[in-house]
Amino acid sequence: MKRINIDAEKCSGCRYCEMVCSFHHERKFSTSLSRISVTKEDKYGFDYPIVCHQCDTCPSVTSCPAGAITRSESGIIQVREDLCTGCGACVNSCMFKALKLSGISRPLVCDLCSGEPACVKKCPTGALSFKDSEAPFDQPSDVRRKLLGRWGIIG
Amino acid sequence: MADMFGYAGKVLRVDLAARRVRVSALEKETAAFYLGGRGFNSKRLYDELTPGIDPFGEGNKLIFSTGPLVGTMFPTASRFNVSAKSPLTGILGDSNAGGHFASELKYAGYDQVILEGLSKKPIYVYVHDSEVDFKDASHLLGKDVYEADEIIKTDLAERRVQIACVGPAAEKGVRYAGIFVNLMRAAARTGMGTVMASKGVKALVVKGTGSIEVAHPEKFDRIVTEIEQEIYSHGQYWPRRQMGTTRILMMANAGGFLPTRHYMSGIFEHAREVSGERLAEEYNVKARGCFACTIPCSRFYVVRDGRFAGLFAEGPEYEPLGSFTARVGNGDLDLALKAIDACNRLGLDALTTSECISWAMELYERGLLKRTETDGLDLSWGNGDAILALIERIARREGFGDTLADGSRTAAEKLGRGKDLTMQVKGLDIIMADPRGLKGFGLGYAVASRGGDHLRSEPFIELSDDPEQGRRMFGIPDSTMRLAYKGKGKLVSYFEDWCAVIDALEPCKSIMQNMEILTFDKAAEVIEAVTGLRMSGADVRSVGERIVNIERMFNAREGVRRQDDTLPRRFREEKLSEGPSKGVIFEQEPMLDEYYHARGWDKETGIPTRATLERLGLGDAAAELKRLPQR
Repeated sequence: MKRINIDAEKCSGCRYCEMVCSFHHERKFSTSLSRISVTKEDKYGFDYPIVCHQCDTCPSVTSCPAGAITRSESGIIQVREDLCTGCGACVNSCMFKALKLSGISRPLVCDLCSGEPACVKKCPTGALSFKDSEAPFDQPSDVRRKLLGRWGIIG
Repeated sequence: MADMFGYAGKVLRVDLAARRVRVSALEKETAAFYLGGRGFNSKRLYDELTPGIDPFGEGNKLIFSTGPLVGTMFPTASRFNVSAKSPLTGILGDSNAGGHFASELKYAGYDQVILEGLSKKPIYVYVHDSEVDFKDASHLLGKDVYEADEIIKTDLAERRVQIACVGPAAEKGVRYAGIFVNLMRAAARTGMGTVMASKGVKALVVKGTGSIEVAHPEKFDRIVTEIEQEIYSHGQYWPRRQMGTTRILMMANAGGFLPTRHYMSGIFEHAREVSGERLAEEYNVKARGCFACTIPCSRFYVVRDGRFAGLFAEGPEYEPLGSFTARVGNGDLDLALKAIDACNRLGLDALTTSECISWAMELYERGLLKRTETDGLDLSWGNGDAILALIERIARREGFGDTLADGSRTAAEKLGRGKDLTMQVKGLDIIMADPRGLKGFGLGYAVASRGGDHLRSEPFIELSDDPEQGRRMFGIPDSTMRLAYKGKGKLVSYFEDWCAVIDALEPCKSIMQNMEILTFDKAAEVIEAVTGLRMSGADVRSVGERIVNIERMFNAREGVRRQDDTLPRRFREEKLSEGPSKGVIFEQEPMLDEYYHARGWDKETGIPTRATLERLGLGDAAAELKRLPQR
C-alpha cells in the first residue's frame, strides 16, 4: 500500500508539515493539532517526522478497549469519535508514537488526506514522499544511529 | 482570540522581585499601530522606561515580542525580538532570533512577555500555557548554553519545550552577552543576555498547546502558495539553501569590502579557504530550518579531520564566520568554527567579541599594546590560540579579557588608547561589510537605532550596482550604485521602514526583504488575510516609519543627536588600498543631510520634528520634544 515515507537526512526540522496538517484538518495552526510531529535534536542536527505508517498489524487497533480504532477498506487507520473514550491506550501501544492525545478528547492520527497527503505535497525539502512501501519502518532511533554514524558524529 | 486573528491576544507581565504575573489583553490599537515584534517592544520601552536609568537596575525591562504571522504556515515566520535598554550602548537595545521559540510562545497564548524588576535568587521562568512557574536556577549558574538547555529539559522531564537562555558570559556581566534559543540561534546583539542575567533569570522556557486562527483562511492559503512558488523559483533559492548567509563572504571579497585585519583591507587572501563554498563542499551534512521555513538556509556541519575533529554544530552565519576569519586575519576555517562554537556555548555575541579581539590585535601590531598587558598573549594577526584563549577570558572576565568585556569603546577609555580605532557606532560594533565600498550600508550603520548595525536597513539593492533600480525606486540612478552618494537618504529611509515592518511581522528578513518578496503592498494583503486589519501599502510603510521614529525619540531622550550618527575615523579619512573599492573613503555629512530631510527630522540635531511625529500619530512623543535634554 502507499504510505508516507521519510528521508530523515532531507528533513530540515522546519515543522512546515505540522502547520499544513493542522490547517488542512482543523483550519487552525497548532503543533498540538497536527497528525505529524517532528522530533528534533538540535545538538546533533537530527530531525525526524513522526507519522502513522499504517502498519499491517496495528497494536493501536487491537489495544483499543472501545473498538474505536479501525481500518478503512483501503487500509487506513481511522478513529471513530463516537466510540472513543479518550483513554489513551492507542497512543501508548503505537511503537512510533504516531497518535496523539494532547489537549483534546480524541486521538489524532494521520488519515492520508483521502489519498493526497497535504504534508507530502508541501514538504519544502522532499523529506516526505507518498509511495508503495512495506511497513513497519525503522525506528527513529535506528535511523538516528545510522545517520549520525555516516556524518561522523558517532563512531 | 476570537476578535483578534493572527495574534495570540495576550501580554504577560512578570514581576521578578515579587514573583507575580499579570496577564492583559493585547490592545487592538497597539496592534494596528505597531503590528508586533520590534514595534511592540520599542513602543513599550518608550512608554515605560524612565530616561537615564541604569541598564542593570530594577527599572530596566526585558521584553520579548513576536508577530502576527508567527505560528501560522506563513513561510519563515518564526522570529522574535528581545529588547531593553542596552548595557553595551546605553541606548535602545534590541536583538532578533529565529528558531522555534517564538511560535511556541504564541501557542502558549502570548504575543509579548515583559520581565520586570530583579529576582534576588537565580531562577528560570517556565511559561506553559496559562501557568507560569518560577523555578530555582542555582544549579544552573555557570553552566554553558548547551548544559543549561539539557539540565532544564531533564528537570522538567519534557523535551518539547523551547528554551531561551544565557551562558556564563552573561552571568559575569560581559556587556555583549546574548540570549540563545535552540542552542545556537542567537539574539546576540546589544547585550540582551546581559540584561536577562542581571535580572537573575537564566532562562525563559515556554511550552504551548494552543492554536492560532487567521481572519481569512482561504485567502491566506492562496497567498502562502503564491509565496512558496516565488521562493522556489527565485534565482537565490539554491545558493541560499546550500550556503545560507555564508555565501556573502566571497561576494564581499570580490567587491573589495570584506573587512580584513580590522578594516585595514577589503580583500582577504585566504577568503576561498574560509568561504561558505568550502563549508558546503567539505563540511556540511544537512540543511536545517527555522519554524515554517520553506528555504532552510541553516546548515549542520561536521569537522572530520585535524585538531578540531569531532566538532559539529549548526551554522555558522556569515557575520561570525567573517568575524573570526578575515576580521582577525585568520585563514584557518576549523579554528573559526571552534571560536564561534565557543562564543555560542559561553553565550557571547560573536561579532562584538571578534571586534574587541580584532581591535586589540591592531593595537598590538602597532605597538600600542604590550604583551605584558595582554597576560602574555601574542596578539599577532591570525594567532588562533590567542583568539581562543581571549574568548574564554572575556567570558570569564579574567585579566585582559575583563578589559575587553565592556566592549571596545569602554576598553579604549579604560586603556586611554585606540579610541579612534574602535569600529563601533554608538557603542555597537560594525558588521562585516566595509562601508567605504557600500555607501548606503554605511549610512545605515551611522543612523541605526541600536548602533552600528546593518539589520535596521540593509539596502541590499546596492549590491546590484544597477542605476535602473535607483531610477525606478527613487527617481535617482545613483541611489542604488554602491560607490555613489546621491539619493542614499531616500534609499536608507525606505529600507529602514521596510526592515521595521519585517521585524514587526517577524518572518525572516533574509528571505522576505533581501529576496524582495514581502513588499509593502504584499504585506498589506498578508496582514489583512491574517489579522483582518485593513491597510494599504502606504499604511504599512507608515508603521515602519512610526517604529523608526519612536526608537529615535527613545534615543534622543538618552541624549543621542546628529553628532552621534557618525562612522569611525578610519572610514572617513583612510582610503581603501586595493581591489574594486580602491581609493575611496566614506563621505558622511551630505548623506546625513539627505537622510534627515527624507525622514522629516531636524538637520542640525537629528531629532524628529513635531510635524513628522504628529503626522505619524505620535502626539505623546511630540509633546515630549520640549523636554528633551540639552547637549
